[in-house]
Amino acid sequence: MNRGEASAIAVAALGHVILFGLLSAGFAAAPNPMELKSKPIDVSLVDAVAIESAAPTAIEPPAKSIAPDTGKPSDAPPPASAEVSDPAPESPAPEKAPAAKTSDTPAPEKPKPKPASEKSDSSKTASHKAPSRKTEKSTPTKSEGKAKAKPDKPRGSRLGDDFLKGITDNGEGKSTSPRAEKISNTIVAGLADAIQRQVQPCANRITNPGPGANEITSKLRIQMNRDGSLAAKPQLRGQSGVNGENRRYAQRVAELAMSAFIACAPYDLPAEYYDVGGQGWKDIILNYKLPG
Amino acid sequence: MNLALNTDAATLSPIALFLQADWVVKLVMLGLLFASIWTWAIILTFLFRLGGVRKSIDRFEKEYRAADDIDAFYRMRGDGETAAARVFSAGVAEWRRSTKRKPVDREGTRERLGTVMGAAVANEIDQLADRLNILATVGSVAPFVGLFGTVWGIMRSFTAIAGEQSTSLAVVAPGIAEALFATAIGLFAAIPAVIAYNRYSHRINGIEARLNRFADGFHTTLSRQLDSGQ
Repeated sequence: MNRGEASAIAVAALGHVILFGLLSAGFAAAPNPMELKSKPIDVSLVDAVAIESAAPTAIEPPAKSIAPDTGKPSDAPPPASAEVSDPAPESPAPEKAPAAKTSDTPAPEKPKPKPASEKSDSSKTASHKAPSRKTEKSTPTKSEGKAKAKPDKPRGSRLGDDFLKGITDNGEGKSTSPRAEKISNTIVAGLADAIQRQVQPCANRITNPGPGANEITSKLRIQMNRDGSLAAKPQLRGQSGVNGENRRYAQRVAELAMSAFIACAPYDLPAEYYDVGGQGWKDIILNYKLPG
Repeated sequence: MNLALNTDAATLSPIALFLQADWVVKLVMLGLLFASIWTWAIILTFLFRLGGVRKSIDRFEKEYRAADDIDAFYRMRGDGETAAARVFSAGVAEWRRSTKRKPVDREGTRERLGTVMGAAVANEIDQLADRLNILATVGSVAPFVGLFGTVWGIMRSFTAIAGEQSTSLAVVAPGIAEALFATAIGLFAAIPAVIAYNRYSHRINGIEARLNRFADGFHTTLSRQLDSGQ
């Protein structure tokens, strides 16, 4: 290698360094295809699922709640005011009502609902409107709801609420039954909101696999740990909206949905609804739809 | 809610792609980068060398035709500085050695003159064409080496995909981009090498033809001298 070649190597090396420096500085950078508009996804909790997951613990309560419901129209005014303060007006109620009274009157019953509502207050700051709606509901139970409770509860669940509490106190743990009652549709909707909000960034990154794929709704079972991480891989529990056109994308859509939930994994959800009598977000089933 | 990935210049720059890559792919990329630098060094060297050789042959032929006396011209330009001058001096030296003893073997002298000057031309071309084989090698092998790096990188990223249980583009894309970068460097090194190899082969063939024509002409002159002079 003579001097001419040495200088040629130096020149060539310098040229390469300059070229790669320019490329590194974004001289010829392609526009980022990811920065396209992001469409919202549709994540909603399956209504039937809340019932389904509540089934194990709620086997007894539903059966018994029928009884006070039937008795309620006649008894409605007295229990609303007297429910906690004095059990006397309930004496004309059916046979089961006294059983509820006896366990209702002791003091330890009242503190129980309170912590739940306090927690919901704190959770209101973290998660949104749904918990706040829930506090509307829980405050009546806490603070001897008076007349306001009646318009709020069209289904008479208020009466069944305390009534069930008394019943189940005999058999099971005390705190499970009131909470199981409280994880109502509004809370479920709030959880769904929170999950949707947190899975949205990951869903935005997903590209649509093909025409018609966004019509497919995948039902996913998500199991979570208390810290919000996934306890197991999401499982597919069926799909709807699959037709002849988009059938070949069905599997792919399910995979994308699972990967979205895995990718955004630790979820920040209100801790008090983690495991409420077999309900809560410990084990939920979600409907997932691609954006678009 | 919009967490659009910042995958533009930041993560797709050559440096970042290199740093993210597997060590096998890194090795391939480094090798190809050195091949590219070496290729361009050879291209630059040849650019100046071949241009100089052509000009020197032009000038030497002009002066040769203008010269009256071969001995005087040999004394002036027989220093062997340029390719044509070396062929010329090889012929003159052989002529002197062959005609030193009388009687001169004319046929043998003609043959020897032709052989010596042919060897001188071949020697010049060999020296000129040195390292041209490197261009040929880089041009033909670099794409394969780059492809090897790509295949390796894609295999690796597929393994990663299988591990993450996710097939979304965000998971797949960086590994693929990083793997394809190896092929890009391979092509980046190979394309100039192939072009330069063809171009310089052609020019060296031209130089060889010119040197041969000059040697033939000089051989004819000496041959005529052999017939008439002695």
